[in-house]
Amino acid sequence: MFRIESDRARFRDIVRGRIRQDLRRYLSTGELIGRAGEKAVSIPLPQIELPRFVFGENPKGAGEKGDGDKGDPSDGEASEGEGGSGAGDQEGRHILEVEVDIEELAEMLGDELSLPNIEPRGKKELANDGGRYNGVRRAGPDSLRWFRRSYKNALRRTIASGMWDPNAPRVVPIRDDFRYRVKRSCPEPDSSAVVFHMMDVSGSMGREQKEIVRIKAFWIDTWLRSQYKNLDVVYVVHDAVAKIVDQHTFFHLRESGGTKISSAYELCLRQITERYRPEDWNIYPFHYSDGDNWSARDTELCVSMLRDEILPRVNQFCYGQVKSAHGSGQFKKDLDNALSDVETLVTASVNDRGDIPDSIREFLGKGR
Amino acid sequence: MRLKSNLPAALKYQAVIIESAAREAGLDFFEVVFELLDARDVNGVAAYGGFPVRYPSWRFGMEYERLEKGYRWGLSKIYELVINNDPTYAYLVRSNSLLEQKLVMAHVYGHADFFKNNLWFSPTDRHMLDTMGNHSTRVRRYADALGQEAVETFLDRALSLDTLVDPYLPLRARATGPKRGGRVHAPLSERALRSLEAVSATPFTEVEDVDDADEPPMPKLPTYDILGFVEENGPLDPWERDILRIVRREAYYFCPQRMTKIMNEGWASFWHSKLLTGGILEASEILDFADCHSGATSSPQGQLNPYKIGIELFRHAEARGEDIFRLRRVHNDVSLVHKLVDEEFAQKCLAPIFVPGMRQRDGETCREVDWQLLKTRLLQELSWGGLPQIEVVDVDAEGEGEMLLVHHHDGRDLQLGRASETLKALEQLWQHPVHLLTIEEKQGRRLVCRGGEVTSLDTREAEKACAKEPA
Repeated sequence: MFRIESDRARFRDIVRGRIRQDLRRYLSTGELIGRAGEKAVSIPLPQIELPRFVFGENPKGAGEKGDGDKGDPSDGEASEGEGGSGAGDQEGRHILEVEVDIEELAEMLGDELSLPNIEPRGKKELANDGGRYNGVRRAGPDSLRWFRRSYKNALRRTIASGMWDPNAPRVVPIRDDFRYRVKRSCPEPDSSAVVFHMMDVSGSMGREQKEIVRIKAFWIDTWLRSQYKNLDVVYVVHDAVAKIVDQHTFFHLRESGGTKISSAYELCLRQITERYRPEDWNIYPFHYSDGDNWSARDTELCVSMLRDEILPRVNQFCYGQVKSAHGSGQFKKDLDNALSDVETLVTASVNDRGDIPDSIREFLGKGR
Repeated sequence: MRLKSNLPAALKYQAVIIESAAREAGLDFFEVVFELLDARDVNGVAAYGGFPVRYPSWRFGMEYERLEKGYRWGLSKIYELVINNDPTYAYLVRSNSLLEQKLVMAHVYGHADFFKNNLWFSPTDRHMLDTMGNHSTRVRRYADALGQEAVETFLDRALSLDTLVDPYLPLRARATGPKRGGRVHAPLSERALRSLEAVSATPFTEVEDVDDADEPPMPKLPTYDILGFVEENGPLDPWERDILRIVRREAYYFCPQRMTKIMNEGWASFWHSKLLTGGILEASEILDFADCHSGATSSPQGQLNPYKIGIELFRHAEARGEDIFRLRRVHNDVSLVHKLVDEEFAQKCLAPIFVPGMRQRDGETCREVDWQLLKTRLLQELSWGGLPQIEVVDVDAEGEGEMLLVHHHDGRDLQLGRASETLKALEQLWQHPVHLLTIEEKQGRRLVCRGGEVTSLDTREAEKACAKEPA
């Protein structure tokens, strides 16, 4: 259907237009983070649907003076068109939530920040999607027995053999009637990537700094997810020692203490050599800190580790320095000076939330 | 898009067999043209309400996206699509099995008969495919001349009102003859009944296929045909008036489908079942047929499936010795339910829908439920095509050309957030403030839309004005 595609494109344009209007805001607030699922983000959009007179529950206190002042959003649930069947759009919700594929969101992010697509490196491997149980055969384990097919065979046989009695409808299956589902696998070309989010959680990183890291991490994940089918994310926190944590801990942990950045880099390197071999993985370490390192010695150690071990193995290493209440540290400057010749290292400084979009562009704008 | 039958020989053969069985059984329809499409394309056609030639609008794109997603995720699948037109076009999905195609074809002949013979469809345009194409051309021409934005914005406003038509107007006009006026202001139900009688008394003639003869007549105050009223009396540019005209005409075309959903699906299901099991199917196909049929007519707890209720109604009528052909000619959903639902039917088919936790088991029915209540409940859901009944009663409410609407409250409140938005669209069209009297939680309210702002006032007057007309 050629014509419908242009109407659909128009609809998407409208949706995108609305989202894009707000994208800058989303980029610097954490608003969408809680709304992201595996594959899609649901974004609340006022007034995509045509308003109509419909029956519905009213929330208490609605219809007071000034109701609808600031463009009361319309109802949830797409209404049933003439062609559709099915019933019940009872949702009395006021906001239409539009599901946007992560990919589409990433595309908008890409457009907004003019990010280039990434050229994956390394070989493309054949991966398995796990397969689907959509085949059928005559033998198999009971757990995969296809009841409907088996029952129909038995019923058919019963009727055909004249044993069917409508008044005492009884179907006794025999071995021959049973059918079982069988898995069919479909290998697909694939490339995988791993992201390391390393965050300094020493005493100087406050709530706001972590929030900035959180938002950046979300958008970076979103973008990389659109570029790679398999994305592993490893969260690392460090003060004087580094450890791997889960996502929740990463964003909520509050430690205090000194800062030894090398500890995080060591851990990252160990992961790369042991689990995420560069031949198979595209590797993206991100490190966020306020730039205060324990000692110049440790910084030197970091620099040499980066130069000799990490940078040759990764697609790109990004360092984001978040300005904290105590001002910004030296670390970014040290890296820039020592490693200015290495183009797989990107550094950026973020003073406040407003800088988030630009720093994302710094990180992802190289297409590596 | 080409619209000629492209069926492979095997299906064409089946179509011929099923068609002759249908005619033999007494069904009477315009020529039926089957078109075989891929599932995606069927979704596309369905998004346009069955008309691939329809004018462009993002709204159809949105619907398409919804259907596509449902299909991709395996949640929903369209089996058949048939449009009320002469010839009657029906779309078959290529991926369906032969048995499914047979079922769909038989079902389609049921619909085709219903379209041609049901009274409520008699005023509809039988060349809607051409008309839609014509509408599309006009909308595109305006968009070319005035810009897509302007036309789209106006079209969106107009579409907000496309349920605000009077389903009884076309028939009433026919019943009272070509001359307008002389309208008696009787209670609605009585009015409907009267027009029903008037038309069924006169010999039923074929619809003239002159283009403008199908145009619904213009309403006078007070009227439910808000769309028509604004079209005739609103301060509009000619192109705007024309777009309203297009929207209104399509609204009236689709209106009978809302009013006869149960009957239409019921009739088609009744006949596909009867025809196919009456000698068309091979013995080996019966089981798959039963599976497929019971899927379409299954009624999950608490959900009203028009296929199920409809087929049961016609079977019930047949068992009672009614003339089912006459029933399908003169009734709509409301009047058919009113006529046919008795205690037995209510207990068997309605109780499982409306009474939670109750299922019929082995012919043992639960007698504790008041069947009259079940019937009333169903009638309420069906009345006025399931939509709120809203009437424009005055256009000089404040002496300033302000429009006054009354919502005839039947116990169900309007969703005020969306109502406010709709009022804003209407104000844009009418270019004067718009008032709506309604009731919210037993409290009378007056919503006033002035300058794009909606305010809501408590008022006693609404309670009187909105009281449902006595049945």
